[in-house]
Amino acid sequence: MSSAELTAAARRPFTGRRVQWGDLILQVVAGGAALAVTVLVALIIWKVIEGARLSIQTYGLGFVARVAWNPVLGHELYGAGSFIFGTAITSLFALLLAAPISMGIALYLTELAPTVIRGPVTALVETLAAIPSVVLGLWGILVLGPALGTTIQPWLHSALGFIPLFGPPTSSGASIFTAIIILTIMILPIVSSISRELFLGVPTELKEAGYGLGVTRWEVVRGVMFPYASGGIAAALILGLGRAIGEAIAVTQVIGGGVFIHWNLFSGGDTLASKIAASYQGSTTKLQTASLIYLGLILLVFSLVVNLVAQWIVRRSARKLGIVRGGHA
Amino acid sequence: MPKLGFSTRIATALAAAATVAALVATTAVAHPAKHADTTISGAGSTFVQPLVSQWITPLGSAYGYNLQYSGVGSGAGIAAITARTVDFGASDAPMTPDQFSACNGCLQIPWALGAVAIMYNVPGAPNLMKIDGATLAKIFSGQITTWNDPAIAKLNPGVNLPSTKITVAHRSDNSGTTYAFTDYLSKISPSWASQIGSGVAVNWPTGTGGKGSSGVTAVVSQTAGAIGYVDIAYALHNHLNYFRVKNNSGKYTTPGLRGMLSAASSDQTPDSNNALSIVNPPAKFANAYPISTFTYVIVPQQSSKAADLKKFLFWAVTKGQTYGPKLYFAPIPKSVLVVAEKTIAKIHS
Amino acid sequence: MSAQEVQRSVLRVEGLARRKAVNRTMELLAWVSALIAVAILGIVVYSVARRGLPALNLDLLTKDPIPFSLTNQPQGLRNAFVGTLVIVSLATLMALPFGILVAIYLNEFAPASIRNVVTMVLDILNGVPAIVIGIFVFGLFVVGHGQSGWAGSFALACLMLPLVARSTMEVLALVPNSLREASLGLGVARWRTTLSIVLPQTIGGILTGTVLAVARVAGETAPLLFVSSFVGTKTSWNPLHALQSIPVAIFELSESPDPADHARAWAAAFVLLMFILFASLGARWLATRSRRKIMGR
Repeated sequence: MSSAELTAAARRPFTGRRVQWGDLILQVVAGGAALAVTVLVALIIWKVIEGARLSIQTYGLGFVARVAWNPVLGHELYGAGSFIFGTAITSLFALLLAAPISMGIALYLTELAPTVIRGPVTALVETLAAIPSVVLGLWGILVLGPALGTTIQPWLHSALGFIPLFGPPTSSGASIFTAIIILTIMILPIVSSISRELFLGVPTELKEAGYGLGVTRWEVVRGVMFPYASGGIAAALILGLGRAIGEAIAVTQVIGGGVFIHWNLFSGGDTLASKIAASYQGSTTKLQTASLIYLGLILLVFSLVVNLVAQWIVRRSARKLGIVRGGHA
Repeated sequence: MPKLGFSTRIATALAAAATVAALVATTAVAHPAKHADTTISGAGSTFVQPLVSQWITPLGSAYGYNLQYSGVGSGAGIAAITARTVDFGASDAPMTPDQFSACNGCLQIPWALGAVAIMYNVPGAPNLMKIDGATLAKIFSGQITTWNDPAIAKLNPGVNLPSTKITVAHRSDNSGTTYAFTDYLSKISPSWASQIGSGVAVNWPTGTGGKGSSGVTAVVSQTAGAIGYVDIAYALHNHLNYFRVKNNSGKYTTPGLRGMLSAASSDQTPDSNNALSIVNPPAKFANAYPISTFTYVIVPQQSSKAADLKKFLFWAVTKGQTYGPKLYFAPIPKSVLVVAEKTIAKIHS
Repeated sequence: MSAQEVQRSVLRVEGLARRKAVNRTMELLAWVSALIAVAILGIVVYSVARRGLPALNLDLLTKDPIPFSLTNQPQGLRNAFVGTLVIVSLATLMALPFGILVAIYLNEFAPASIRNVVTMVLDILNGVPAIVIGIFVFGLFVVGHGQSGWAGSFALACLMLPLVARSTMEVLALVPNSLREASLGLGVARWRTTLSIVLPQTIGGILTGTVLAVARVAGETAPLLFVSSFVGTKTSWNPLHALQSIPVAIFELSESPDPADHARAWAAAFVLLMFILFASLGARWLATRSRRKIMGR
């Protein structure tokens, strides 16, 4: 037989009378694993909906906007409003702080740093992502919080206290502000490492064309690299947002707790994730547990949307740039 | 020829790993069968947790019991025993009739006597300042906002009170300590009773929430100007100052053993569910500390672990009480002990 | 030169000076940003080390905790260290085979449409917050049956799976096609090719991916809070009951008002952090080395 015929024969599991059982088994087992993963994700969504069912039946969609969390027996009333607000304000402010710093890090590591230190510094920035959230939270409660509560927060309050954002602080520092700082630290490595890869992927010809025109490095960055990588950067920011939305432990350790909607960054509050982490163990009634899971369902929906949007952006900009996704033919 | 040996090697390695894992799993599972340890698990009140924690070692050496206790708050403890996810629940707040019916045949047994201390973190102020119920109600409802308020200063002449803002620390979870404290405030202040009321959780008009007795203690110890309510053991263990509270006879008493026992003598007859209420005792109990409370263990009347539970509980209300005084838990009075033992005897398998 | 020409050339130079100043400012800001990131890492590691090292002693690993201890009896967090060992080991045993099989399927067998769908599913799984995984496993295994260590392992395995699968896929894709075709051309069956030709090339990458996944979940708290947190103080190796774990222990100790508890939390955090840092950096070093080896062939 020719080598082509050999190859073709080897590829087919059933060849004449000899059945390639090994191929079939491996394909079924491996395919089964892939199917199991898909079933797992569907199961997760279903179980969360099922856990929240009592609360969904009791409150319906009104739960989402209601600003209340009253576990007083006999007067129970629950709503997600203040926690959605808390999630929004912490994640968005954290993104606002993290975005420019991450861009700066990525630019430094791709354009400015001496080649010798690029590797080590990149590794160090990515190590920031490896710090477990409970350790960051421990540091937040015992070091960062009191430090902020006794220095920056009172200073900002005395200097800019007329702005509702900077109301009276507490000396322990447990506040939305501290949670924002912690979340910023968590988002930084994600956004910066994706941006770094994007900047590395900008074709050198484009950059050299810019330099050839006599523009400065910053103008090349602003006029060539950012527009080229804009899709990827948007995806990176959205992935960072997703990370911030889902963070429960570190946030619950430093945020102080509270069920109000107010603008004072120096007082306590709660996000969807931090409320679940704080109240789950102590949940008293079935309705309270179901309402906490309802919060989890809202959180899941937010994360899914964020995740899918990021994937869509990546696929769209990859198509635009003619990049084909991996795997072999 | 391709190295056929390698795939066989991989298969053997995976099989070996699987066998090792199976062996580890079986030894782990077989382990408890060889051990004489019986695990008795409980959950609930953080108020009584310091005392229950002292029982772990002596119970282990006396009966070989492995006592596990999770402080998740009285409310969650009642929920846990109702769902039978634990062997016993602990609550400082007596169960309501609804909770009794949901619990489906549960017994409520008073097993410790303690007091709610009002602790404060005021830089420069001495320990054991004086306070009365009406002022406490105003502070915790947000009407008094600074430490140098005249109401506080009047009760403590000669003390240099700073103008620091008062940060109220309260429980964020369903708490029996909250029940005892708000019960006291409701009885002492009609406006508190009508506007905020009492219960394991209330709508606090002001302040920061802390999870569990540790959480409230942490808020107070880390925030200058904070005030909070907690079982006295936590205040002592963390070297926090606490108030002397005025009782109905006009005396300012501390949450010590004498204050608790005097308050306990104001209600010597448990009701049909063994609940007792000893907050705000009448004036004739001159040495009473007005925010004292019994705390209860809740067990199912019918349980597969009946024999062990009975042994544990008999020990807890007798020998276990000797571990209390160091932590400011007074031994339960004789009349209550009799009722407790009678109720424990009802547990059967 | 005329006066106009001089004026124009001066303006051009002034414009350049301003643009150069802006450029220099931006370069400085970029440098400052990198400094901020490295500084934060340094501050956190230093904080943990400074507070954790003095409290680090052998007792931490050999003694069980004694809550509300009135005497200064030596105590530690042995139940947490043992628990984490058991839970994470079981999680790895659960996640590893699944991750490898999924990667094999996607890379070697799946048509493009299925590959896209399953890859999207893996990305979705990766994006589910850990606390939602905790709620899921709670509803699946804990309701009605009670908490257990292996439910915790299952939750951690859900978090590890996408990481193992993705890194295995990456290494599989690096194996040159020529290798596969040569093997098939010699008449070797597809399954033998995959298992004994392609897979051995990727062992290094799989190992790296696994170590990184372990480092990721060793510090994971949220899911364990739901499924393995009602624990006693006694050390247990039995995953059928709830086991204490290092991250949950740190979490509980961090909310305590007692400085002695804080000291133990710092010490445990130090051990955890060192383990994770060494595992991550070591895995990264292994990855670069094995990647060079594969592509060098």
